[in-house]
Amino acid sequence: MKPNWRSITGSRILDVLTVFVVFAFLFPYLFMVSSAFKTRLETFAYPPIFWGFTPTLEHFENIFSDMNILFYMKNSTIIAVCSTLLTILISIPATYSFARFRFRYKEGVAYGFLFLQMVPGISIVFALFFIARALDLFDTHIFLIVVYLLWNVPYAIWMLRGFVEGIPVELEESAMVDGASRFKAFRLITLPLMAGGVAATAILIFIGVWNEFSLAFFLTSTEARTMPTTIAFFMTHSGIKWGPMFATATIGTLPVVIFALLVRRYFISALTFGAVKG
Amino acid sequence: MTIDRNRRRQRPPWLAPVLLVMPAFVVVFAIAAYSAFSLFQLSTVNLTFGEPFRNAEAVGLENYQWLLTNEHSTFWGAVRVTALYLLGTLIPELLIGLAIALLLNRKMRGNSLFTAVLIIPIVLMPSMVGLIGRLYFSYDGLVNYFFEALTGIRHNWYGKDLALLAVILVDIWEWTPFFILILLAGLQTLPVEPFEAARVDGASRWQSFSLITLPLMLPLILTTLILRFMDVLRLFDVIFVMFAGGPGTTTTTLPLYVYRTTLVQRDVGRGSAASIMLIIIIVSLTVILIKMRERIKFEA
Repeated sequence: MKPNWRSITGSRILDVLTVFVVFAFLFPYLFMVSSAFKTRLETFAYPPIFWGFTPTLEHFENIFSDMNILFYMKNSTIIAVCSTLLTILISIPATYSFARFRFRYKEGVAYGFLFLQMVPGISIVFALFFIARALDLFDTHIFLIVVYLLWNVPYAIWMLRGFVEGIPVELEESAMVDGASRFKAFRLITLPLMAGGVAATAILIFIGVWNEFSLAFFLTSTEARTMPTTIAFFMTHSGIKWGPMFATATIGTLPVVIFALLVRRYFISALTFGAVKG
Repeated sequence: MTIDRNRRRQRPPWLAPVLLVMPAFVVVFAIAAYSAFSLFQLSTVNLTFGEPFRNAEAVGLENYQWLLTNEHSTFWGAVRVTALYLLGTLIPELLIGLAIALLLNRKMRGNSLFTAVLIIPIVLMPSMVGLIGRLYFSYDGLVNYFFEALTGIRHNWYGKDLALLAVILVDIWEWTPFFILILLAGLQTLPVEPFEAARVDGASRWQSFSLITLPLMLPLILTTLILRFMDVLRLFDVIFVMFAGGPGTTTTTLPLYVYRTTLVQRDVGRGSAASIMLIIIIVSLTVILIKMRERIKFEA
């Protein structure tokens, strides 16, 4: 039997096209990372320099010594970690209730959470600004940590509900028949089984808070300022400091990219509030 | 032991589930109610940003009326820019995303690597994406370099004509992978049988795509569009960092309009009124879209 050359070359062309297309999406990111290692002149060169330059670490030294980037990373980490843990802590009982019990207005309340999640940060940030001033909480970690719960808790509930509903209720019931209390059955059976989902949800919430801009930008000034809002430092009157900006962007996006790749199995359901399984 | 058991029986059945939901409910709805209350209060006063609240002068619903009807109000202009931005991003993202998802939905080596790579644009810090976009779209930037190589012309992306397109192109780069990943996941779970039956019946590739793949994928396509729709209406950071709504008002979508009214024109009352209208627009349009999707699902 003769091989079908036409369809083989056809699929080869499609393979090459696939590689090219995927690379095209990666390229702006790669160029950003490589620009962090270029001198100022190389960054502005036209035509752009893609390879063959001598990498320099001056911008990284600059952001760690002059800009004190570690301080903003510390703020981002405190706020993201605390808000994530708090979210998970109050979302797990709520999720369990939505997934395992039947009560009046259940779906109404669940959708209520979802609608609050839709509210754009920018639309309430100035009201929050006045609230923060009134409570004397402007530019504090705690205010951002609490405010982020408005978006994180609904997200976590909707994400986790799918995971809990995927665990057969019979497992818990048989433990309860054996004399375990409902809480013990949850702790020993359901909780370990949903651990993967909890971890993925936590990481995705962490990424969201870590990247969040509009609330962090308008509700902090010096003490609680986070990484994404440091961009204001690069926009100076004498132009934009591109080198340090690229170095900060590289460092600031690195943990997120690593985390996202770690949980990529859950990524599709994470993007769709659990509506689509990956 | 017996007493304990009796007590357990007497506990009303709704108590446990309600107690479990309570912490989340109280925290979230308390924050929401407090913000909503103060946002509404701010929307009914006349107050310059930076002045203390006691200087506020109550004006009722005048701010809303001004935004919607005054000839100097640029609110409807912002609605127009938002609509252009929505169409300019969602349609290409869906079409390109579907095409690439079909391309990736073949047996080939490196597929899991490709999907991993496509996650990256989605999770990058949006403020940094905006700043990178600003550099790449500068006159001596990356985008013009490729444009010149292909067409021989360089464009001024910072100008009034092209700024919105530049922001849209950044969004397309960032979010087409969203469509690719979700639609690819959908394609991979399609049943095999209808396609085999179609092949036996001699259907062409195009026929099996348009008559089987598309109808089966329609609910998922609509879900993806709705999710992106909500996100695009909320988008602030990338546009703010790239062009801050300018030049002029060419990239002033509704979220940027809220910012500019409140902080640039320092008009807290009108800014808050615009915020409330933005919330109403997002929630009502999303509810309509969800209803529409349910009806289509029902008919299919």
